[in-house]
Amino acid sequence: MPPNVSQGCQGGCATCSDYNGCMSCKPRLFFFLERTGMKQTGVCLPSCPNGYYGIRLPEKNTCTKCKADCETCFYDSFCTKCKRSFYLHSGKCLKTCLEGFENNNHTMECTSIVH
Amino acid sequence: AASTEQDPLPSCTPLCRCHRDGVMLWVECSELGLSAVPGSLSPFTAYLDLSMNNISEIQPHAFYQLRFLEELRLSGNQISKIPWQAFSGLYSLKVLMLQNNQLRRIPAEALRDLPNLQSLRLDANFISLVPDRSFEDLRSLRHLWLDDNALVEIPIRALNNLPALQAMTLALNRIQYIPDYAFQNLTSLVVLHLHNNQIRSLGMHCFNGLHSLETLDLNYNELVDFPVAISNLGRLQELGFHNNNIKAIPEKAFEGNPLLQTIHFYDNPIQSVGKSTFQDLPKLQTLSLNGATDIREFPDLTGTTSLETLSLTRAGIWVLPRGMCRQLPDLRILELSRNQIEELPSFHCCQKLEEIGLHYNKIREIRADTFEQLLVLWSIDLSNNAIQNIHPEAFVTIRSLVRLDLSNNHLATLPLAGLSGLAYLKLKGNLALAESFSKESFPKIRVLEVPYAYQCCAYGACNSFFQPNSLWEAEGTGPEGNEIHKRNLELFPGHTDSHYDPDMDVFQLETEESKLQPSIQCTPSPGPFKPCDYLF
Repeated sequence: MPPNVSQGCQGGCATCSDYNGCMSCKPRLFFFLERTGMKQTGVCLPSCPNGYYGIRLPEKNTCTKCKADCETCFYDSFCTKCKRSFYLHSGKCLKTCLEGFENNNHTMECTSIVH
Repeated sequence: AASTEQDPLPSCTPLCRCHRDGVMLWVECSELGLSAVPGSLSPFTAYLDLSMNNISEIQPHAFYQLRFLEELRLSGNQISKIPWQAFSGLYSLKVLMLQNNQLRRIPAEALRDLPNLQSLRLDANFISLVPDRSFEDLRSLRHLWLDDNALVEIPIRALNNLPALQAMTLALNRIQYIPDYAFQNLTSLVVLHLHNNQIRSLGMHCFNGLHSLETLDLNYNELVDFPVAISNLGRLQELGFHNNNIKAIPEKAFEGNPLLQTIHFYDNPIQSVGKSTFQDLPKLQTLSLNGATDIREFPDLTGTTSLETLSLTRAGIWVLPRGMCRQLPDLRILELSRNQIEELPSFHCCQKLEEIGLHYNKIREIRADTFEQLLVLWSIDLSNNAIQNIHPEAFVTIRSLVRLDLSNNHLATLPLAGLSGLAYLKLKGNLALAESFSKESFPKIRVLEVPYAYQCCAYGACNSFFQPNSLWEAEGTGPEGNEIHKRNLELFPGHTDSHYDPDMDVFQLETEESKLQPSIQCTPSPGPFKPCDYLF
């Protein structure tokens, strides 16, 4: 084991180092780089943090950024919760809802107008 | 207010970390080595994270008094089964995370009576059995993760009554076939991921009923035939079937999908494509088709007016239609390397053209109007052709040209008009090109490759600031695969990362850096057997 890789890795890490945190994850966990100032620390998570979505592939699982107007997403083109002042409609974040829908300020979603 | 060890909020569960959100409480108990759900949970808990512990069983009614709980995270535990009333009382629950556990079947009984559940994560388990009534009561369910499990078939009956479902992934399973009408009641589904399965064939009507589908991911499967079942997906915008075994794309393949913006189908052994296959796709922005050796004619792209990137390499195209640019007014990147093209039309109407790749063809000449008035064209690769002459005014109207590769042609002279902005110029392999260039010819040059060493002498032949090795490494198309990625390798040699995808901004940055190091890289650099005097 390379000298800088510590013995006891935390949580879901497979390999880690004192300075960089996790360098690889146990199977089926998502590898994510946490940024604190200039420093980046590797962590292994069962789901990606808010603002990111997970892509599972046979050889690795990674976290990728959602779109800028989206707080949580299923996939880069499908948002599940929009950021402040946007309304969610079928996976999209809108400044104002489309015709036939109204801005619901409680749920921050577009709700269809029932005639 | 956040709880602290000294002044714990009265209802915070020991060992956990809590913080208040108005009246509600967020309770964070992940990675504590817990083997069971804590007993003393506050009724005002809105968020509870029990992930990454050692919980293997959930007691019935374990969360009974948590009427306000909206998100429950149980991911990363050892849960192999969930009893009937484990989640009873969770009327407000919206998000339930059960991924990364040991489940072998869907805990259908436990998923009753969750009227507000919107997101259900069951990915990264060992689920091979999905009882028919698994999701029966989940009428608000919008997002379902079943990827990375052991499913061998589409759970058709279980998916039969989910009117609110908008996004679902069944990726990374062992599904081999999709039967007709597999998703027929999922009328609200927008995103469907099926990548990394073993899908060999599709029922002709397997996607019927998916009226709202916008994204379909069939990448990394074993499809042999083009998925004609997509013809029913009238709102499809993003389609992926790269890394399959498809050999042909038929005529009218996308006739039913007028809203398509991206189609990813690289890494298929595609040999033939219908001449009008990619017609009438007004939203399509990128078309990348490489190695389809049966293609002889440039495709008819009538009605596909938003194309910005067109890559058609390693095929048999020998002529380019005169009116091609009128069909492609927004074209920025044109990559036609490794075809049989002998003559070029005028690209004058491609006014937004920035990069052209025409290397490894049979082009013989460049006329005055070939690149006329292309004001934002900054990169031309014409290497490895049969170019004998270039009209003196061929480059005059190109204001932005920075890179020009004419290596391995039959040039005897090079017209200099319009080339003063060049930073990269490659001329090696033009053995009849014997003239020497003055420094004034290329005032901004950084990398110059010429046929003979003496042609570098104008750039301070023997001074030390010559760097022996060329920034440009050996050209080459590299491994089989999407030419569009590798094209960037060829245009930017010296960057071997296949994902390096520079655009003009990055390139300008490099050019700016060059001002700090005014050294000019000219090769072949003179030496004992490559003197500065032209001996012949």
